[in-house]
Amino acid sequence: MGYSRENAGGGSGGRSGGGGRPSGPRAGGRRRFLFRRRKYCKFCEDKAAWIDYKDLRTLQNYIPERAKVLPRRISGTCASHQRQLMQAIKRARNLALIPFTSD
Amino acid sequence: MVRTYETVFITLPTLTDDEDRGVVDALAAVVSDGGGVFTANDRMGRRRLAYPIKKFEDGVYTRFLFDSEPGVPKELDRRLRISDKVIRHMTVRLEPDWAVAAKEQAVRDAQARADAEAARAAGVLIEATPEAPAARGRDDDDAEFDERD
Repeated sequence: MGYSRENAGGGSGGRSGGGGRPSGPRAGGRRRFLFRRRKYCKFCEDKAAWIDYKDLRTLQNYIPERAKVLPRRISGTCASHQRQLMQAIKRARNLALIPFTSD
Repeated sequence: MVRTYETVFITLPTLTDDEDRGVVDALAAVVSDGGGVFTANDRMGRRRLAYPIKKFEDGVYTRFLFDSEPGVPKELDRRLRISDKVIRHMTVRLEPDWAVAAKEQAVRDAQARADAEAARAAGVLIEATPEAPAARGRDDDDAEFDERD
Protein backbone atom coordinates (compact mmCIF):
# COMPACT_ATOMS: atom_id res chain seq x y z
CA MET A 1 0.00 0.00 0.00
CA GLY A 2 2.42 2.73 1.09
CA TYR A 3 1.34 6.12 2.24
CA SER A 4 1.56 8.56 -0.58
CA ARG A 5 2.26 12.07 0.47
CA GLU A 6 -0.18 13.47 -2.02
CA ASN A 7 -3.12 11.68 -0.49
CA ALA A 8 -2.16 12.40 3.05
CA GLY A 9 -2.71 16.09 3.54
CA GLY A 10 -6.47 15.85 3.35
CA GLY A 11 -6.60 16.13 -0.41
CA SER A 12 -6.05 19.74 -1.25
CA GLY A 13 -5.68 18.66 -4.84
CA GLY A 14 -2.38 20.45 -5.37
CA ARG A 15 -0.24 18.52 -7.75
CA SER A 16 3.46 19.16 -7.33
CA GLY A 17 4.39 21.02 -10.44
CA GLY A 18 7.85 20.53 -11.88
CA GLY A 19 7.87 17.20 -13.63
CA GLY A 20 11.33 15.74 -13.74
CA ARG A 21 12.71 17.98 -11.02
CA PRO A 22 14.74 15.56 -8.97
CA SER A 23 14.49 17.37 -5.65
CA GLY A 24 12.05 16.41 -2.91
CA PRO A 25 9.12 18.58 -1.91
CA ARG A 26 11.22 20.46 0.62
CA ALA A 27 14.01 21.36 -1.71
CA GLY A 28 11.54 22.67 -4.23
CA GLY A 29 11.23 25.80 -2.15
CA ARG A 30 8.22 26.88 -0.16
CA ARG A 31 7.63 29.93 -2.32
CA ARG A 32 6.68 27.79 -5.28
CA PHE A 33 3.06 27.05 -5.93
CA LEU A 34 2.90 23.79 -4.11
CA PHE A 35 -0.55 24.12 -2.73
CA ARG A 36 -0.52 21.49 -0.12
CA ARG A 37 -2.60 22.30 2.88
CA ARG A 38 -0.47 22.70 5.94
CA LYS A 39 -0.82 19.76 8.28
CA TYR A 40 -1.83 20.42 11.82
CA CYS A 41 -2.55 18.38 14.89
CA LYS A 42 -6.26 17.72 15.00
CA PHE A 43 -6.14 16.91 18.69
CA CYS A 44 -4.56 20.24 19.57
CA GLU A 45 -7.32 21.85 17.58
CA ASP A 46 -10.33 20.39 19.37
CA LYS A 47 -8.85 20.67 22.87
CA ALA A 48 -10.27 17.42 24.14
CA ALA A 49 -8.76 16.56 27.49
CA TRP A 50 -7.64 13.14 26.37
CA ILE A 51 -7.90 10.64 23.58
CA ASP A 52 -10.52 8.09 24.49
CA TYR A 53 -9.70 4.51 23.59
CA LYS A 54 -13.42 3.79 23.22
CA ASP A 55 -13.95 6.57 20.71
CA LEU A 56 -13.69 4.48 17.58
CA ARG A 57 -14.83 7.22 15.30
CA THR A 58 -11.70 9.19 16.11
CA LEU A 59 -9.32 6.26 16.26
CA GLN A 60 -10.53 4.92 12.93
CA ASN A 61 -8.96 7.93 11.24
CA TYR A 62 -5.54 6.86 12.41
CA ILE A 63 -5.59 3.20 11.48
CA PRO A 64 -5.38 2.66 7.74
CA GLU A 65 -6.37 -0.60 6.10
CA ARG A 66 -3.62 -2.78 7.52
CA ALA A 67 -4.57 -1.54 10.98
CA LYS A 68 -1.17 -0.05 11.59
CA VAL A 69 -0.86 3.30 13.27
CA LEU A 70 -0.79 6.21 10.87
CA PRO A 71 2.63 7.82 11.18
CA ARG A 72 2.98 11.35 12.42
CA ARG A 73 4.65 12.47 9.24
CA ILE A 74 1.43 11.72 7.39
CA SER A 75 -1.19 12.85 9.83
CA GLY A 76 0.65 15.87 11.22
CA THR A 77 -0.28 14.95 14.79
CA CYS A 78 1.98 16.57 17.34
CA ALA A 79 4.40 14.45 19.34
CA SER A 80 2.55 14.39 22.63
CA HIS A 81 -0.77 13.62 21.02
CA GLN A 82 0.78 10.92 18.90
CA ARG A 83 1.94 9.24 22.11
CA GLN A 84 -1.52 9.51 23.61
CA LEU A 85 -2.99 8.20 20.40
CA MET A 86 -0.64 5.22 20.47
CA GLN A 87 -1.73 4.47 24.02
CA ALA A 88 -5.39 4.71 23.10
CA ILE A 89 -4.98 2.46 20.08
CA LYS A 90 -3.14 -0.17 22.10
CA ARG A 91 -5.86 -0.16 24.71
CA ALA A 92 -8.56 -0.42 22.08
CA ARG A 93 -6.73 -3.35 20.52
CA ASN A 94 -6.64 -5.20 23.80
CA LEU A 95 -10.39 -4.83 24.10
CA ALA A 96 -10.89 -6.13 20.56
CA LEU A 97 -12.37 -2.83 19.48
CA ILE A 98 -9.67 -2.49 16.83
CA PRO A 99 -7.77 -5.30 15.12
CA PHE A 100 -4.06 -5.81 15.69
CA THR A 101 -3.73 -6.63 12.03
CA SER A 102 -6.11 -7.08 9.19
CA ASP A 103 -5.57 -8.44 5.75
CA MET B 1 -6.27 8.28 48.15
CA VAL B 2 -9.42 8.21 46.09
CA ARG B 3 -8.86 7.93 42.40
CA THR B 4 -10.97 7.49 39.33
CA TYR B 5 -10.87 4.19 37.50
CA GLU B 6 -12.49 2.96 34.38
CA THR B 7 -13.04 -0.73 33.83
CA VAL B 8 -14.26 -2.25 30.61
CA PHE B 9 -14.95 -5.94 30.39
CA ILE B 10 -16.41 -8.30 27.85
CA THR B 11 -18.79 -11.05 28.88
CA LEU B 12 -19.78 -14.14 26.95
CA PRO B 13 -22.20 -13.58 24.11
CA THR B 14 -23.94 -16.84 24.94
CA LEU B 15 -25.34 -15.65 28.27
CA THR B 16 -28.97 -14.72 28.54
CA ASP B 17 -29.79 -11.16 29.52
CA ASP B 18 -30.56 -12.20 33.07
CA GLU B 19 -27.35 -14.16 33.50
CA ASP B 20 -25.36 -11.30 32.10
CA ARG B 21 -27.01 -8.86 34.42
CA GLY B 22 -26.26 -11.17 37.31
CA VAL B 23 -22.55 -11.20 36.45
CA VAL B 24 -22.44 -7.44 36.08
CA ASP B 25 -24.34 -6.82 39.30
CA ALA B 26 -22.03 -9.11 41.24
CA LEU B 27 -19.03 -7.14 39.97
CA ALA B 28 -20.73 -3.82 40.64
CA ALA B 29 -21.31 -5.02 44.19
CA VAL B 30 -17.56 -5.56 44.58
CA VAL B 31 -17.03 -1.88 43.83
CA SER B 32 -19.86 -0.63 46.01
CA ASP B 33 -18.89 -2.84 48.95
CA GLY B 34 -15.34 -1.61 48.75
CA GLY B 35 -16.56 1.95 49.15
CA GLY B 36 -16.41 2.84 45.47
CA VAL B 37 -18.79 5.41 44.02
CA PHE B 38 -20.14 4.82 40.54
CA THR B 39 -20.34 7.58 37.99
CA ALA B 40 -21.35 5.23 35.22
CA ASN B 41 -22.32 1.59 34.97
CA ASP B 42 -22.96 1.32 31.27
CA ARG B 43 -23.95 -1.67 29.31
CA MET B 44 -22.26 -0.71 26.07
CA GLY B 45 -23.98 -3.60 24.38
CA ARG B 46 -23.15 -6.45 22.10
CA ARG B 47 -20.42 -5.84 19.58
CA ARG B 48 -18.56 -7.83 17.03
CA LEU B 49 -15.01 -8.39 18.25
CA ALA B 50 -12.20 -7.18 16.03
CA TYR B 51 -10.62 -10.61 16.38
CA PRO B 52 -11.87 -13.82 17.96
CA ILE B 53 -11.28 -14.27 21.69
CA LYS B 54 -11.62 -17.82 22.98
CA LYS B 55 -13.29 -18.70 19.68
CA PHE B 56 -16.01 -16.12 20.25
CA GLU B 57 -16.71 -13.59 17.54
CA ASP B 58 -19.06 -11.42 19.58
CA GLY B 59 -18.96 -10.01 23.06
CA VAL B 60 -21.07 -7.97 25.43
CA TYR B 61 -19.26 -4.86 26.62
CA THR B 62 -19.82 -3.29 30.00
CA ARG B 63 -18.12 -0.25 31.40
CA PHE B 64 -17.67 0.90 34.97
CA LEU B 65 -16.52 4.38 35.83
CA PHE B 66 -15.96 4.81 39.53
CA ASP B 67 -14.03 6.61 42.25
CA SER B 68 -12.41 4.48 44.90
CA GLU B 69 -9.36 3.54 46.89
CA PRO B 70 -6.78 1.52 44.97
CA GLY B 71 -7.75 -1.74 46.68
CA VAL B 72 -11.05 -1.87 44.85
CA PRO B 73 -9.79 -2.22 41.28
CA LYS B 74 -7.33 -4.78 42.55
CA GLU B 75 -10.10 -6.94 43.96
CA LEU B 76 -12.24 -6.29 40.90
CA ASP B 77 -9.41 -7.40 38.67
CA ARG B 78 -9.02 -10.58 40.68
CA ARG B 79 -12.71 -11.39 40.32
CA LEU B 80 -12.69 -10.60 36.63
CA ARG B 81 -9.76 -12.91 36.09
CA ILE B 82 -11.41 -15.75 37.96
CA SER B 83 -14.80 -15.46 36.30
CA ASP B 84 -15.18 -17.71 33.30
CA LYS B 85 -18.02 -15.57 32.00
CA VAL B 86 -15.68 -12.65 31.38
CA ILE B 87 -13.50 -13.11 28.32
CA ARG B 88 -11.54 -9.87 28.46
CA HIS B 89 -11.18 -6.99 30.87
CA MET B 90 -9.14 -3.87 31.37
CA THR B 91 -8.95 -1.27 34.10
CA VAL B 92 -7.47 2.14 33.53
CA ARG B 93 -6.68 4.76 36.12
CA LEU B 94 -7.72 8.14 34.81
CA GLU B 95 -5.54 11.17 35.37
CA PRO B 96 -7.37 13.77 37.46
CA ASP B 97 -8.06 16.16 34.61
CA TRP B 98 -9.15 13.35 32.34
CA ALA B 99 -11.38 12.03 35.05
CA VAL B 100 -13.32 15.28 35.18
CA ALA B 101 -13.90 15.22 31.44
CA ALA B 102 -14.81 11.54 31.48
CA LYS B 103 -17.33 12.05 34.26
CA GLU B 104 -18.94 14.98 32.52
CA GLN B 105 -19.16 12.90 29.38
CA ALA B 106 -20.68 10.02 31.31
CA VAL B 107 -23.31 12.28 32.80
CA ARG B 108 -24.08 13.67 29.35
CA ASP B 109 -24.34 10.16 27.93
CA ALA B 110 -26.67 9.11 30.70
CA GLN B 111 -28.80 12.15 29.96
CA ALA B 112 -28.85 11.35 26.24
CA ARG B 113 -29.81 7.80 27.02
CA ALA B 114 -32.61 8.91 29.30
CA ASP B 115 -33.83 11.25 26.57
CA ALA B 116 -33.71 8.48 24.00
CA GLU B 117 -35.63 6.27 26.38
CA ALA B 118 -38.23 8.97 26.92
CA ALA B 119 -38.44 9.53 23.19
CA ARG B 120 -38.96 5.83 22.71
CA ALA B 121 -41.73 5.79 25.30
CA ALA B 122 -43.30 8.78 23.60
CA GLY B 123 -42.82 7.08 20.25
CA VAL B 124 -44.76 4.06 21.43
CA LEU B 125 -47.62 6.30 22.41
CA ILE B 126 -47.46 8.07 19.09
CA GLU B 127 -47.30 4.83 17.20
CA ALA B 128 -50.57 3.83 18.79
CA THR B 129 -52.12 6.79 17.01
CA PRO B 130 -50.75 6.44 13.47
CA GLU B 131 -48.53 9.42 12.83
CA ALA B 132 -45.67 8.55 10.52
CA PRO B 133 -43.24 11.50 10.75
CA ALA B 134 -42.86 11.30 14.50
CA ALA B 135 -42.21 7.59 14.35
CA ARG B 136 -39.55 8.07 11.71
CA GLY B 137 -37.81 10.68 13.83
CA ARG B 138 -37.60 8.20 16.65
CA ASP B 139 -36.00 5.56 14.42
CA ASP B 140 -33.31 8.00 13.32
CA ASP B 141 -32.45 8.74 16.91
CA ASP B 142 -32.04 5.05 17.58
CA ALA B 143 -29.77 4.54 14.62
CA GLU B 144 -27.46 7.28 15.76
CA PHE B 145 -27.36 5.85 19.23
CA ASP B 146 -26.40 2.39 18.02
CA GLU B 147 -23.70 3.71 15.80
CA ARG B 148 -22.04 5.59 18.59
CA ASP B 149 -21.86 2.48 20.75
